[in-house]
Amino acid sequence: MSDAPLVTLEKVSYFYPRAVEPALRDVDLVIPRGQILALVGPTGAGKTTLCLTLNGVVPQFHGGRFFGAVRVGGDDTVEQPIHRLAARVGMVFQDPDTQLVSASVENEVAFALENLGLPAAEIRARVKSALAAVRLAEFAHKHPHDLSGGQQQRLAFAAALALRPDLIVLDEPVSQLDPRSASELFALVAETNRSHGVAFVITGHAAAELAETAHRVVVLLGGRIVADGRPDEIYADAGLLARANLRPPEVTSVFAHLAKRGVCAAGVAPVRLGDAIRALAGLPRARPYAPPEPDFAVNGLPILALRNVEHVYPDGTAALRGVGLDLFRGDYALIIGQNGAGKSTLLKHLLNLLRPTAGEVLIDGAPLARQSVAELARRIGYVPQNPDRQIFNPTVEAEVGFSLVPLRLPPKESARRIDAALRALKLEAHRRVHPFALSKGDRARVVIAAVLVMEPEVLVFDEPTTGQDEAGSRAILDLTRELHAAGRTIVVVTHHLHLMPGYARRAIVMGGGRVLLDAPLREAYHALEVLESTHLAPTQAVALARAAHADSRALTPEELADSFDRPPEGLLVMPGGKEGAA
Amino acid sequence: MNVPRFQTVARSTVFSRLDFRAKLAIFLTLTVVGAGWSDPRHASALLAGVGVACVGVGIPWPYLRLMLRVMAPFGLLMLFTHGFFNKEHVARLVGVEANGLTPLVTLPEAWWLIGGAQMTVEGVWYGTGVFCRSLMLLLLVPLCVFTTHPDRLVLGLVRLRVPYKIVFVFSSSLRFFPLIFDEIRAVMETQRLRGYALEEMGALQRVRVYARIAVPVILGAMFKAQQIEVVLQSKAFSGSPARTYLHDARLRPSDWWAIAASAVVCGAGVWAAVRLGFGRFGAD
Repeated sequence: MSDAPLVTLEKVSYFYPRAVEPALRDVDLVIPRGQILALVGPTGAGKTTLCLTLNGVVPQFHGGRFFGAVRVGGDDTVEQPIHRLAARVGMVFQDPDTQLVSASVENEVAFALENLGLPAAEIRARVKSALAAVRLAEFAHKHPHDLSGGQQQRLAFAAALALRPDLIVLDEPVSQLDPRSASELFALVAETNRSHGVAFVITGHAAAELAETAHRVVVLLGGRIVADGRPDEIYADAGLLARANLRPPEVTSVFAHLAKRGVCAAGVAPVRLGDAIRALAGLPRARPYAPPEPDFAVNGLPILALRNVEHVYPDGTAALRGVGLDLFRGDYALIIGQNGAGKSTLLKHLLNLLRPTAGEVLIDGAPLARQSVAELARRIGYVPQNPDRQIFNPTVEAEVGFSLVPLRLPPKESARRIDAALRALKLEAHRRVHPFALSKGDRARVVIAAVLVMEPEVLVFDEPTTGQDEAGSRAILDLTRELHAAGRTIVVVTHHLHLMPGYARRAIVMGGGRVLLDAPLREAYHALEVLESTHLAPTQAVALARAAHADSRALTPEELADSFDRPPEGLLVMPGGKEGAA
Repeated sequence: MNVPRFQTVARSTVFSRLDFRAKLAIFLTLTVVGAGWSDPRHASALLAGVGVACVGVGIPWPYLRLMLRVMAPFGLLMLFTHGFFNKEHVARLVGVEANGLTPLVTLPEAWWLIGGAQMTVEGVWYGTGVFCRSLMLLLLVPLCVFTTHPDRLVLGLVRLRVPYKIVFVFSSSLRFFPLIFDEIRAVMETQRLRGYALEEMGALQRVRVYARIAVPVILGAMFKAQQIEVVLQSKAFSGSPARTYLHDARLRPSDWWAIAASAVVCGAGVWAAVRLGFGRFGAD
């Protein structure tokens, strides 16, 4: 194998057509063969743009102004046609829906190979080995859309792998996957890197998985590389993380908190769960941590209730099986479960978009089916995952007011509600701006304001933090907390379990169309067997807490750090387990 | 995952296993023969045959019902126009004078402009034939396309020397349109979730709401189209015909038999229609 670097970016700057600000500024980057590089940064930092320079889509497809040079295996990505570069650089995108272009699994893997004009026998051999590598061989004749989200991403990976490229780029590959599917994909990356020596560039906000898998982390901010180092170096730099809106892996946070409390030495903290568990051996023994659970505010009748609800889709899929559930006024409930567990179907029943095949859904004790979707919308506000489907108007103000038109309120009352919603979402400055001129995070806030303006009693958030960076996620979740404090009932569906302590009070764990557990958040997060049964992994903080003490019920890095006593004066423990002088 | 896709039929039948080129031969034969059969008895028999074939190969009944619903106003229009207005042509076909046709309905003389207009039995009968032929031709599309795996369809057309770029655009639209329809459905659902009771609105209000839907749908479609374009480029797609295929598309004996039988039926049908007047309206 050649010692020459696989990828070289020299002083790369790039402006999208009509853009005033560059998406990339003076980027210099060298990626050796066989390296797994994590490209991290806040939303809009230029991660996707940088990825697209690697296969020539930027600037060849998008146009714009491009400066500098990108070389992959010696080929200049501006000079080589994109379809030739595709043989060297495999791409896996975020959205399985648009990246699968064929009507069968095997044809999906074969598509790029056919375009390259490989002999049929060679294509067959590569399809077979790629599908075997991602464990999809038995689905070769299925339609890609019949696969789960995790399987679809593995299929996209297989299609890239079949090219036998030098480099595979994965752009936010797990943002729509449940934790188990995300882990499987990252395991596949590590395995492929080991067995085939393929280099990877991976973008995303999944700090824990990136830290586990990557050899190197590059931080982009405003189109510039602001840091470049090993995962333990990057994730230990609290200042850098704060500046770039990044969240470290939870285990790293635990050791940062321990260092602050003087339990262990400050410095390089473990970034991988396995290393962190090993490092526990050098710490004082943890105390069991089990704070009393706060009381649920359960007042009288549930506002929403499901009684033995079953739902069978026309194709025979039983999505809900005897679901019984009460949601009370003032609840903040989290619904979790693997993809296909029945969460979306459950939400659709709460919104009357689907009717139960058996059983009933009640609102304030009366059948919910008696109300139309539109009537119900005034009581139950729904914030979808994709805000762009909710935007119809030319200004933020008009968009927020659009929901009030059917209510036929007096103009003064409408104006009052619009002002209040814009204020709550900090959108007053954007009142006259077109919603599509805002960032995705801000568009999500516009949609929340448009729901809030109807003053619904219940707010349902469907994957509100998908595609959001740390600051965007926190901003949305902080808002849910404010709304909850103001008396609203909140329901959140998310895969991002680590973000929810401090917000949700109750977790409903779903699996196979059933409610497997309905318990306070702490109890649910520590119900490891139940989580396992629906293919959910515990958060790193929970896993580390249980490794620290079997009776620990800590939920967050802070709580876990609190369960350790400071060692005797003058003795600090290094995270690696060695002792050192203070 | 509940993702929309172009309608396909999962059931494996003798017909669905045929190569697309063989199906195309059957399609062309029935089109040619059907075009010559203006007699409603022949046209309806052909329609019944194609309808039975559609059910037999597993075209879902809701889809067939939808087609019937969409075509029903067209059918009424055919009966109406041919019944009332196509007198000269119909009379020529049955070999009588225009005023020799059998009246079915006569509008009262006192009616302004249309008073005294007459709907004829022969005109209605002829209109029935036209409708049956049109519906038969329309049913041939799902019969041949839905029973063919999209990848096989592409391969079949490429082997027929249709330029790959055109074939790809065709097959992509099969994939893209369901996504657009899903986008429209999702946006309309969103409107309902914003408190707009579309089912309770008057026509004008609905039009206003639909006009607003255009914004996110068009933006969504453009965004998706661009995403798909980037994906295709990343998968080495260049539209070049110099590409290879995972599967071979050799015609099997059953395909050759179907093509040969189609050719014979087509020839015999044309001969019988031209020389014997078989299937011609008013021939007996």
